[in-house]
Amino acid sequence: MPPASGRSLSRRQFAGALGAATGAAAFAGCSSTSAKDMDTLQVWGGIPAESGPQAVIDKFHEQYPGTHVTYTRYVNDDRGNLKVNTALQGGVDIDVFFTYGVPNLTMRVDSGLAADVGDLVRATPELEIFLDTEDPKALIDGDEITALATTRIPQMVLFNESLRERAGIELPTQWTFEEYLEVIRALADDGKYGTYVLPDLARIELGPNYRFTPEGDSNFSHPAFLRHFDLAAELIREGVLYPWSQALARQLEAYQQNIFIAEDFGLWTTAPYSLRFLTDQEEYPHDFKVACAPVPTLDGHDWNTGEYGAFIQINSKSPKQELAWEFCKFWLLESAQDVVKAGYISLLGEVDDEQLLAGILGEDAEQFFDVDSFRRTLFEDEPRMHLDTELTAYTEITQKYEQQRDVCWLLERSPAAAIEAVDKNAQALIDRFEED
Amino acid sequence: MAIVDTRIEGAGDPTGVAGARRPRRRGRAPSEPRPYVGWLFIAPNVLGVLAFTFIPLISVVLLSFTQWNLVSGFGGIEFVGLDNFIAVFRDPTFWRSLVITILYAGVAVPLTLVVGLALALALNRDLPGRGLLRAAFFIPYIVNIVAIGMTWQMLLDPGAGLVNQVLGVFGAEDLPQWFASSHWALPALILVTIWSQAGYANLIYLSALQDAPAQLYEAARIDGAGRWASFRAITWPSLLPTTVFLLVTLFVGISQTFGMIALITNGGPGSSTTTLSFYMYQTSFQFYRFGYASAVGLVTFIGIFAVMLLMWRAQRGRALHD
Repeated sequence: MPPASGRSLSRRQFAGALGAATGAAAFAGCSSTSAKDMDTLQVWGGIPAESGPQAVIDKFHEQYPGTHVTYTRYVNDDRGNLKVNTALQGGVDIDVFFTYGVPNLTMRVDSGLAADVGDLVRATPELEIFLDTEDPKALIDGDEITALATTRIPQMVLFNESLRERAGIELPTQWTFEEYLEVIRALADDGKYGTYVLPDLARIELGPNYRFTPEGDSNFSHPAFLRHFDLAAELIREGVLYPWSQALARQLEAYQQNIFIAEDFGLWTTAPYSLRFLTDQEEYPHDFKVACAPVPTLDGHDWNTGEYGAFIQINSKSPKQELAWEFCKFWLLESAQDVVKAGYISLLGEVDDEQLLAGILGEDAEQFFDVDSFRRTLFEDEPRMHLDTELTAYTEITQKYEQQRDVCWLLERSPAAAIEAVDKNAQALIDRFEED
Repeated sequence: MAIVDTRIEGAGDPTGVAGARRPRRRGRAPSEPRPYVGWLFIAPNVLGVLAFTFIPLISVVLLSFTQWNLVSGFGGIEFVGLDNFIAVFRDPTFWRSLVITILYAGVAVPLTLVVGLALALALNRDLPGRGLLRAAFFIPYIVNIVAIGMTWQMLLDPGAGLVNQVLGVFGAEDLPQWFASSHWALPALILVTIWSQAGYANLIYLSALQDAPAQLYEAARIDGAGRWASFRAITWPSLLPTTVFLLVTLFVGISQTFGMIALITNGGPGSSTTTLSFYMYQTSFQFYRFGYASAVGLVTFIGIFAVMLLMWRAQRGRALHD
């Protein structure tokens, strides 16, 4: 049926129109550059907006009327970080971004993506803790400061109270590693394992930058690393630690909460962000209570295996540097109460421990937790945490370490051979990176 | 009575002598070139090939002579000459990955061909439900890689997996740990690869078998040749071009396997399933060494291309034709 105009499109006209449309669309796609909106601050972070960031942003809007902040959430994995890196170097409108994990931090800073906020920090007395170079909580290079940690991520030991009571173990408040070993051996019974993995013994003993000697060489020949591999392999063989073959086959590294809730093991070394699983009875139903203990000490060494993290940074290319700094300052000083929902304990902010505890443990805290044990461990013990600042070949060395750890804990390679391979590979990587 | 011209437009008599004169059509004759419309038709494909094949290809070649971490932007690209290639040949992980790739493709490809051919020979007979069986064997080839990965991960779970449970029923001891063992992970990966690719080989072999010269079989039968003699003297030579085609396409495809490795083993345990393509991914998207990863990619490409050429040359003149 001809169209109302009485003229029909010939094949040639149709083809021409199709080609023109395609060309126009392609051209439009290629040439579209989103103009930067000067009234809107673009913030990219890894926490879902509803777990705290949106509440912080709403308060910021109240305090700074006329400003607008848009929050974009990215998933903190390889793919998510690639997206952020591509966006940052590609000129996408990002003013403030959060970085998780030291390798990403160095890469972004070394590439000039992060603005220097050293002068601004020095001009703000409330942010004095970021000037501490002995116990660094910021990325400091001379006078330059390019990243500020927003949270403390202490490690803690969680107990399945039912299994602890059944094994007749007293809840520890301070304990040595030998006592810890006794406890996990006692918990390993009747088809249950003591724990998933040991806390990192080398970290407890050596603290920050433990992979490197003071001269910058590989430190994996330090006996602490071998002791960790050796003891873990022995405990896997004994059936005290969760079998590593199962952990690998079922890819459990990212899903440890599932097997803790399934009561496969009685003691779990983790961080506050894992507590959200324990308050979610719909997704993770369980009928046991959880208590908390500090990370054990080792021969007088007491570094916590946790760290400072979730670094806030300003894009050096942002045309809204002043507003971006106001937002960073606001986040550092005012977000504490809101981000606890995501299990984040802020470094700063006028929030007392009880409020933080209530935020982290949720509304029905008494139902799921021994609240006193969490209060004591998280706020009274003041664990010593670290921030690695020696970062040569950090990601590559981590990979080599994990590869050898896997074959060692699968009981395919001796701990001594595995650690020797890590040491050799790490030194080769350090040498190569220094050549570059 | 009006004469109705039923000829199809554009199918006119090329000699111009037959029949009555037709009214002259406006516009170009079909044989005349219409370059703009033609280009417009193929423009989307041309743009796609340019954007997703040629530009990345040229970029990889150029990047292989540079040091670049992507995050530093285009301004951070630093020309390093042949340094990346020298580093590739000195890199023990590259050589290890090369050995793993050769083992993986070197075992998976021939076994896929054997399984595909065996299935094709069986399904070329007049079996009940033949169509259904053909479809069933082809399905693994078109199933999504994520589904394949997850299913086989469950089947080959060393503890609760169905495969080990069945082996246990038959009294097997010291059961394989499959993906949870650096000794078994590669064989397990080969097993899954054969399962997913054999349907493709089967389909291609089936179509080739149906083109096999029937008169030769007839002659062989009259001469008293048995099945094995017929297969050796007629079937196999007539399948040789198909076999080489499959050998090349499967070798290229399997040696580039990435999704299954990323999903199931992530290159481990240890580095037991880190093939060259997975090493390239690690180097670029985990370590952000794009220049070096490009050099690894280029060396891999040249290697695969050389093997492919050798395969083509080896089969020249050996095929059986009608």
